Amino acid sequence: MGTCSLVRMMSLLQLDLRMLRMLLALSPPPSSHWKFRKHPPLMLMETETVVEILPETPLMETETVVETLLELPLDVLMDIFSLLELPDLIRASFVCSFWRSAYSSLHNQLGQYKRPQTPCLLYASEADGENGACLYSLAEKRVYKLTLPDPPIRSRHLIGSSYGWLVTADEKSELHLLNPITGQQIVLPSVITIEQVEPILDSAGAVNNYKMWDLEQDDDPNEFPDCLCIRAFVFPDPPTGSYIVVLIHNPERYLSFARVGDYKWTSLPGENYEQCIHMDGLLYAFTETGGVYTFDLTGPTITRNIIAEEMENYISATDGHMYVVQAPWGDMLQVCRDTECTEGFTKTKKMMLYKTDMAAKELVEMHGLHDHVLFLGRSQLQCLSAEEYPQLKTNCVYFTDDMTYISKYKNDDRDIGILNLENGSREEIVPQLWCNWPNPIWITPNLMRMNM
Amino acid sequence: MATREAGKKMIMLKSPDGMEFEVEEAVAMESQTIRKMIEDDCADTAILIPNINSKILSRVIEYCNKHVPTTGATGAAASDTVAPAALAEDLKIWDAEFIKVNRATRFDLIQAASYLNIKGLLDLTSQTTIDTISDNSLEEIRSFLSTKNDYLPEEEQTIRRENQWAFQ
Repeated sequence: MGTCSLVRMMSLLQLDLRMLRMLLALSPPPSSHWKFRKHPPLMLMETETVVEILPETPLMETETVVETLLELPLDVLMDIFSLLELPDLIRASFVCSFWRSAYSSLHNQLGQYKRPQTPCLLYASEADGENGACLYSLAEKRVYKLTLPDPPIRSRHLIGSSYGWLVTADEKSELHLLNPITGQQIVLPSVITIEQVEPILDSAGAVNNYKMWDLEQDDDPNEFPDCLCIRAFVFPDPPTGSYIVVLIHNPERYLSFARVGDYKWTSLPGENYEQCIHMDGLLYAFTETGGVYTFDLTGPTITRNIIAEEMENYISATDGHMYVVQAPWGDMLQVCRDTECTEGFTKTKKMMLYKTDMAAKELVEMHGLHDHVLFLGRSQLQCLSAEEYPQLKTNCVYFTDDMTYISKYKNDDRDIGILNLENGSREEIVPQLWCNWPNPIWITPNLMRMNM
Repeated sequence: MATREAGKKMIMLKSPDGMEFEVEEAVAMESQTIRKMIEDDCADTAILIPNINSKILSRVIEYCNKHVPTTGATGAAASDTVAPAALAEDLKIWDAEFIKVNRATRFDLIQAASYLNIKGLLDLTSQTTIDTISDNSLEEIRSFLSTKNDYLPEEEQTIRRENQWAFQ
């Protein structure tokens, strides 16, 4: 190729040197991923004499790695820190104040935080009390225990998870945004401000229950606190520097949204919504009857634009649950999750993938994800490249339970696992340690705090 | 002098110790820092790379040359005959060889990768460091550093309390 001959000569020279070193048995171990061990491996012990003579043996090299790190400039240290998984980054920040300053600078410059964090499974377990949650790291294959603020996590319904934020509904359906890593919690506007919801007050004037104005005659109003909100999405809102929360809620699967800090929910037109995504500055909403609509939430008045009243083909409720995600390569994908009932519990049977052709208004079937991975459930759907997340299994869907009225089935076994799209096989993520309630959910740890 | 292939734009990179390296523009643009200079039209035909000596710069160029995506006539021919998986495997082996350098060189490479903003090279050169941080407790890392914890006790208590979960 066209690089200068000098470079080629130099690399040849280096190759010769390397070969010479190998002949002299001075070369470092074959893998760059060689890890420090407290006690040197036997092999190295045996060559102790060599170790002592040579200034650059693998053993000494790794022992002094950290020492040399102190000599690195702050910005380079920040670059290295930005490659760490979150728990490692937090631990590194405690080593000394210089490392702390690298961490703080990194934390303040969010754009520089490069490391894509591997999603974790958040769940509660019997042993950890009402406020304890577990975070199972797929990257490290271990559990971290978290203590979360009130109301008790065991009493909440997890209706969404995006950008490291959980959206939870408490026993009275009131909503919170919660970052389980930082413990920051933000109260969202009361559900009684949703246009279609009216509070029912008790004799003391406290909100006792809710009524929806088009509640049908035979519906039991008592079941609503559990089932009012079905799904929630969180999106950044660059113009205000804040976040927008979008809710799909009963009755009739309406859509409402609020910015963090708003005092009420704003209703959006249309009904029977199934999924939402945020793409190119617009909110895309998909209905169960194949409709695709966009909303621009930034303007003073919000209008609904019709992309398709009804797609040529779409995933209907009889086919299975429908999910939407924008793939890293830009396509909008739809996933159909087909379930079956075995031994009284719902189990995922099959996942089908489609590319959304917006111009032709049709879904085109895809065969597998190749080197990509899907995360799916009540959390925001994610499609990740396995190359960036080496611990994940390619062409697999990592799923959690996502029944629409899951809160009515608090004691049911949860449908959680990994489905291989190549051969349809299913495996468990971790030996089941979770309680069936709250519903376990995927979360991508994030240190971000919201300014209130 | 390098053999120029028809239609390929060449860029001269200069190290502070006076060495000059003529490389294809595409190779130089593996560095996001250089890419930005070229795209912003700040680059003349020659770019001075401060703080990176010729020994390290030549290794960086060697890395970029290997990792530049193969496009164009010759590149297409190459990828027609070799499967992508085999190419990736070949790169992995090449990387493992490339990183067999002494500690000082690796840290120089980390700094160069950071300054020139070459993500792949930074990932590769930082891996041992990352493993050290991941695999050891705070106390172990500190003892390698032979440094004392320079936090005030109350300061440490506060920040530890906020992040207790990461120390399990």
